[in-house]
Amino acid sequence: MKSMIEKIINKLNGIGTFSDIRITKTDQENIYFERGNLKNVSNSLDEYHIGVRVLIKGTWGFASSTEIKEEKIDQLIEKAVKNAKEGSLFKDDKIDYIPQKPFVGEYIFVPEKDPFKMDLFEKIEYMQKIAKNMVGREKIVHSMLFAHFYKQEKYYANTEGTYSHTILYDVRPSMMVISSDGKGVQTRTYPGHMPGRRGGFESFEKFNFFDNSEKIIKEAVDLLDAPYITEKNADIIIGGSQLALQLHESVGHATESDRIFGMELSYAGKTFVKPEYIGNFKYGSDILTIYSDAGDKRGLGYHPVDDEGIPSHRVNIIKNGILVDQQTSRFTAQKLGLEPSSNMKATNAGDFPLIRMTNLCIEPVKGSLEELIRSTEKGYLIDYTKTWSIDDNRNNFQFTTEIGWKIENGELKSIVKEPTYYGITKDFWNSCDAICGEDEWTMHGTFYCGKGEPGQLMHLSHGVSPARFKNIPILPKE
Amino acid sequence: MKNMVNKFKSIFQGYDDFKFKFTLSNWQTDFYRFFRSMTNYNISKNSLTLEATVYKGKKSYSFEISEPNEKKLKTKLEFVNKFIDNLPEDPDFVDIEKDTTVKELPSINNNILQVPLTKKIEILASIANKVKKYDHKIYGTFITNFVQFYIINSNGVNKYYELSPIMLDVKSMSNKNMASVIESFGGADFSNFNEEGFEKRLLNKVELSQLDIINIDPGKYPVILSPAAIGEFITYLGHTINGRSIDTKESYFIDKVGKKELPDYIDLSDEPLNEGTIPYFYNQEGKTLSNLNIIKKGVFENFMVDNYYANKLKMNENGNMGTNLVLHRGMDELPDMIANIDKGLYISKLHYMNFMNPKETTVTGLTRDGTFYIENGKIKNVVVNLRFTESIVNILKNIIMLENKLTSIPSSTNYGNFFIFSQLMPHVLVKDFSITSSTNTL
Repeated sequence: MKSMIEKIINKLNGIGTFSDIRITKTDQENIYFERGNLKNVSNSLDEYHIGVRVLIKGTWGFASSTEIKEEKIDQLIEKAVKNAKEGSLFKDDKIDYIPQKPFVGEYIFVPEKDPFKMDLFEKIEYMQKIAKNMVGREKIVHSMLFAHFYKQEKYYANTEGTYSHTILYDVRPSMMVISSDGKGVQTRTYPGHMPGRRGGFESFEKFNFFDNSEKIIKEAVDLLDAPYITEKNADIIIGGSQLALQLHESVGHATESDRIFGMELSYAGKTFVKPEYIGNFKYGSDILTIYSDAGDKRGLGYHPVDDEGIPSHRVNIIKNGILVDQQTSRFTAQKLGLEPSSNMKATNAGDFPLIRMTNLCIEPVKGSLEELIRSTEKGYLIDYTKTWSIDDNRNNFQFTTEIGWKIENGELKSIVKEPTYYGITKDFWNSCDAICGEDEWTMHGTFYCGKGEPGQLMHLSHGVSPARFKNIPILPKE
Repeated sequence: MKNMVNKFKSIFQGYDDFKFKFTLSNWQTDFYRFFRSMTNYNISKNSLTLEATVYKGKKSYSFEISEPNEKKLKTKLEFVNKFIDNLPEDPDFVDIEKDTTVKELPSINNNILQVPLTKKIEILASIANKVKKYDHKIYGTFITNFVQFYIINSNGVNKYYELSPIMLDVKSMSNKNMASVIESFGGADFSNFNEEGFEKRLLNKVELSQLDIINIDPGKYPVILSPAAIGEFITYLGHTINGRSIDTKESYFIDKVGKKELPDYIDLSDEPLNEGTIPYFYNQEGKTLSNLNIIKKGVFENFMVDNYYANKLKMNENGNMGTNLVLHRGMDELPDMIANIDKGLYISKLHYMNFMNPKETTVTGLTRDGTFYIENGKIKNVVVNLRFTESIVNILKNIIMLENKLTSIPSSTNYGNFFIFSQLMPHVLVKDFSITSSTNTL
């Protein structure tokens, strides 16, 4: 493959200001149980994509195909060039590219248990035991257990001499039960909204699904008779699973700098962040530091080099509550006077790279969750996302979680159903008065961060530990 | 492609004890994206994909092959044949689709060729030039797809169709205050695109976006929902009107067939054969589709039920997918609807909506791209983006006026080898619509 890529780069040299080529090979397997029965086992192996991107007259042209044949390359390049040249007819703000030093890198992740080499029946048998355990339970009307195994090999090269080769493995396991008493319906999921992890089948096993299935069954049934929160404001401790999504929606997307320039306005939206906020905007409380680190190998967002040739490195986005940087591309970094943050990525080589979160994390502070609960006189611990929604500018959000626990005098009491909180991004993060420490810090991951047109679903991670937020508006329900 | 299908079919048929279904799709898109009145990027993509499921008794295995050929398929089937006996059975297994009826389909143009990039740019440059005097710039997408699709199974299903939908979304946004409005076109026939009419409708909205911007308090308001906005609510409702939602007990409409749930003047149907939409003649399993009444004169009549759930739930299969939803027109003119409001809102477009509780049809989401304040029967102000929290069934129950004409609204699944759909929707006036907070921003 390397020699083929070299030939393509030779063809691209001299075409326009900058060009790059990506080839990906993706393997995926899904195993899905419903009500204890194997409903679907499917795979898609050796899915190849090739994508060529050229920058001509300050305009991008892109063409891709699933057909990897040397004799088709000229056709692909020709199409990308045509797209750039014709696209430049409607352009008055050209993209200049500050040249980057070439980078050569390789990273091969080796899972403990390669799901694509394991015996299929070993996986099925392991999962079936868990799936069967959720069946025949009183008031549980539906249950499912799902595993998505993923492997992607990627080659990236550009006309600046950068070359990278990676092989990565991700797994996304999840389970859900639905309870009903004939009137209402409640759901409980595990391990929550962001169950994606780097690794092989061993990552699935670490979640201890069997024991946790007992827990979610009990909670789903108990929720049917649980009260709603009736207060209009409350102190809330947000568990890691939900906090990862809160971070994702109200900081992650808000600090993607393509949104500042309206490049995502037609679909994903804008951001309330303005260029002049960088360096002085009080995004959160003093204890809040949020960083993007594509170089953290624990996360799904790891890469040696991004999809336009920027090596991975840590960038503080918010430092001690102040917005200090953005997630950038080479284009937007230049526009904002920043260094590129290594956040340009595409789902596969058939997709155009966009500014994407990689591993966006909240720096841990101190203490355990138990200590945090003990220090809370009155409030709620809430977790496990049920509904999420945020506005076009990433300013007004509303989240409902599946479950909450009332806290009184530092102790967890009864459960509440569908706690719904809302707020304005800046006010919310400034109300954060405690963040748990390193021991509570976990990398949560998703396979489904949607962005761009045509839409791309990205794998990425958020490292968080539970945190407390004061006097948060609650949407009461009778 | 036809030869390839026949070869694949004979390879599958070589395994006597297998049942099978497969689709072979050749998918192409020319996807132009623009921002700040200039090119963002143009993407040309193509892919050839085989998706298949093999059945042996009540056991099944599914796979996908990118750029398939005979060798890849034979290797895959040999692999499946070795282990399928050891898979656990699915006690809920039902036989695959049996509907072998074939529709005579209209011939279509390949719109990737009919509407080349230079033509797209010519149209958009003209629009950009016209909104410039309002200090606006345009943002959006101009998509043309061409898809060839074969659906084959061992019960004799052998269907083929082509689609070449077009979708144009143009947002015009003020450089000064970010007030934005949107106009869309979608369909299968580009000759239906009236450039002058499109520009005129967009410019009328741009004029309105010049009004002063205000915020409003949370509360219940009468609102006029644009065809796009009511269409989005109804699309969400569609998720609770299918077989799966009955099976998971999450449908509001369980035990409500034949019951009057909504006002007399609410008629909702799925009309895949309606020529005013982007027609879909077959569902993904090859079932030949017909138009289906979902709600007739306020009475809930039908769920959308595919082959699997029809068998599992002992219901009649219709195969409808909610790809072509039509909320039928009423008797009212839009100006009369506006005149009917003392203090209320016009909502153009929704954003980031999600179910809070599907059984109750409660959702939360936001407005964008043109929310206006109406006072004493006149549009008075642009309103910042607002959050609503509402039950979709309540919205339908609270419709008090329906526009006397329908607008075609395109939408796209956007991900993977995405499909483009269209609905026909009128403006509706809804009372007591619940605004729960403000974003304070546009």
